[in-house]
Amino acid sequence: MLHLKSHNLLIQKTLSEAIEANSNGTPLTLDRIVSDFDYTIFHISNQEGNKTILLLSIKTKAWVSIQKIDANNGLLPYLQSKYQPFAGISVSQSAEPGYDFTLVLDLASLTNESVVESSLLKTAILSFPFQLAFQESFELSKLPAPEDGSSIDSQKLYNIQNRDDEQFFIKASNDRVTVIFETIFQDETDKILGKVFLQEFVDARKRNRSIQSAPQVLVSNEPPLELQSFTSSRNPQNDASRRFITFVLFPRHFQTAELQHMSISQLTLFRNYFHYHIKCSKAYMHSRMRYRVDSFVKVLNRAKLDEDKDGLENDNQSTRRTITGRKMVY
Amino acid sequence: MSYLNNPAIVMDNGTGLTKLGFAGNDSPSWIFPTAIATAQSSNAKSSANAPQGLGNAKAGVSNPATSNPYFGNSTSATSFASNSNAFLLSNNLAGKRGTEDLDFYIGNEALVASQGPAYSLSYPIRHGQVENWDHMERFWENSIFKYLRAEPEDHFFLLTEPPLNPPENREQVAEIFFESFNCAGLYIAVQAVLALAASWTSAQVTDRSLTGTVIDSGDGVTHVIPVAEGYVVGSAIKNIPIAGRDITLFIQSLLRERGEADSSLKTAERIKQEYCYVCPDIVKEFNKFDRQPEKFAQFIIENQDKTTKKVIDIGYERFLAPEIFFNPEIASSDFLTPLPTVVDQTIQACPIDVRKGLYNNIVLSGGSTMFKDFSRRLQRDVKSIVSNRIAQNEALTGTKSTGVDVQVISHRKQRNAVWFGGSLLAQTAEFKGYCHTKKDYEEHGPEIVRNFSLFNMV
Ligand SMILES: Nc1ncnc2c1ncn2[C@@H]1O[C@H](COP(=O)(O)OP(=O)(O)O)[C@@H](O)[C@H]1O
Ligand SMILES: [Mg+2]
Repeated sequence: MLHLKSHNLLIQKTLSEAIEANSNGTPLTLDRIVSDFDYTIFHISNQEGNKTILLLSIKTKAWVSIQKIDANNGLLPYLQSKYQPFAGISVSQSAEPGYDFTLVLDLASLTNESVVESSLLKTAILSFPFQLAFQESFELSKLPAPEDGSSIDSQKLYNIQNRDDEQFFIKASNDRVTVIFETIFQDETDKILGKVFLQEFVDARKRNRSIQSAPQVLVSNEPPLELQSFTSSRNPQNDASRRFITFVLFPRHFQTAELQHMSISQLTLFRNYFHYHIKCSKAYMHSRMRYRVDSFVKVLNRAKLDEDKDGLENDNQSTRRTITGRKMVY
Repeated sequence: MSYLNNPAIVMDNGTGLTKLGFAGNDSPSWIFPTAIATAQSSNAKSSANAPQGLGNAKAGVSNPATSNPYFGNSTSATSFASNSNAFLLSNNLAGKRGTEDLDFYIGNEALVASQGPAYSLSYPIRHGQVENWDHMERFWENSIFKYLRAEPEDHFFLLTEPPLNPPENREQVAEIFFESFNCAGLYIAVQAVLALAASWTSAQVTDRSLTGTVIDSGDGVTHVIPVAEGYVVGSAIKNIPIAGRDITLFIQSLLRERGEADSSLKTAERIKQEYCYVCPDIVKEFNKFDRQPEKFAQFIIENQDKTTKKVIDIGYERFLAPEIFFNPEIASSDFLTPLPTVVDQTIQACPIDVRKGLYNNIVLSGGSTMFKDFSRRLQRDVKSIVSNRIAQNEALTGTKSTGVDVQVISHRKQRNAVWFGGSLLAQTAEFKGYCHTKKDYEEHGPEIVRNFSLFNMV
């Protein structure tokens, strides 16, 4: 219903407008900021002296931790290869000052596909650790499975710091990939609603047969086993509202490139989607509260004493009232 | 905290169009109708399919924006669909237990969705003020998450309000923004003050003062608002019930009278925006049209696959339509005061010591002031009213007046002046200091938003 799309609508729209203006021979002068969730800012601007080339730069909180994940500095080559196949997109060797990463877009040769791909830039960056984990899981699954039925876990735990106080982890095993979100709530009401929602994530799968193939979800207050090596080094501040949400992806969730893309884009939007829905529920409750207040006001109006005395003196006709208690005026 | 680096979000929710964007940008990122399409009763829903192009999630991704008409920025707030019976249906959510509250569209998507039977369209803002808070709350929720892709906890917000907005409305806004959205900080600015700030980009403006008369003409109503040193002179504000929609309807009636091939609202609106201008003198303009037939324009509508063509002749409405502002009697029978007279009356109703500043800085804002030569005509007419009065005074008293300088300011950002002014203010380093934060709100409650300290970023 209110799904958040994985691509940034505004980038898509801005680029499409720029392409159209360019093909009409009047290229736009652009210098715009576009935002995205989790401290992400895009900057769309013209290349200096050439209005037919656009720069699309991104600055995102998660960049630093994602870059650290791979000791071989694989992130840039990964993005490079990801954008290679698309017409009109090239990766700038050095990012625009103040930003983490820059794409150079040639308006004359951009296709619709490349526009969509550029608007997926944030997802592309976040997909890097997922891809590493999927790869690892494939490799581990080629090893002979242990006899006792236990699984072989990777030694690596990827930690992506995508917000100030929140982060997520990815760990690969031979038969699954585990994604763990650590989240806290700032607001008191959100804490309560969040708790209900999270329980629902866990329960819905049990109740509803049609979503049995969805990844398994676990929620806990304590860091799950996978994180034992990690959390010890963190200060346990704000612990009361801290929750760990574990998604277990099985090979059926990441077997093909398309499935991988789906899983990654849903998971990277998980926190935003979750908070969005908390806000929607609050809006729903507000509308019920407003309705309630209105009906109480109606009752109160009916109970109001007749304060207008001269009405009685002037005419002995009994005053007529509407259903809401208002007086009829002739 | 990181959110300090996030750009502030500027939202100008007008009666007709909503302007959304980020502080520091030179134009709003999104301009779409302030409309929301909500699901009708569930049995009506189940019998009807989701509107085409919306139901399919994949289509939204792969379609280029240009082929999706509801993607681009709008200049029009009207739904051109013919069904309006939907307005009558009750929209109360309280009795519903399902997920109806999540089933809605806003903006251009709402116009598309409401063409089907499953959704009913409503405009939550009337005459600049929020009428339906339930709808407005959901409209905001969707604008922030879907269109701006921002987590409100991470951003400061600048919202706008019409002149003379009751303080209770501000409190409602604060409740929604702080309690539903947990926004980091909030500033509510008066539209007229922002329009003044936007006029600083004009080359005509030499000193950046917040004194001036703002003429804000949008879709439903035109306000004339005197502002002195950043404070609105409330007692002197005047409203004119003539604005964009009336002009469109007037053009439509002319097209109908002549029996043109197409006289839909959409056509009328496009003719208004593309062909209309303000003339110095109607009689002369009529003569000019008679002498120069090339002044008559033609408007051609092709259907999608360019097989059929409709040709619509455009005649006197090119200058007659905007003339409604200056001679309202040609279209309306109940409001007869010309705009220049209203401007003069407004300024005369203000304290005498600010009047000079008000005449000197008459600022235009809003879509319906975009007609060519609008400012020139207004300046001339106001000037002649003022000089007549001065001449009269001089004759009566025998003293020489020092004269009053009338200046109407027109500038490039005029159409979305309110939003642009907001963007200017919200990008300054001081802005966040002027906002009320979530913490302040929790400390003091909603009444905290009754007062905002005034910006002076000179
Ligand atoms: N170039 C133009 N010429 C004349 N009218 C215009 C133009 N552009 C937009 N409008 C009209 O301006 C109105 C919207 O103005 P706006 O200031 O956004 O209204 P509001 O703030 O009340 O929503 C619409 O009626 C639209 O038809
Ligand atoms: Mg407006």
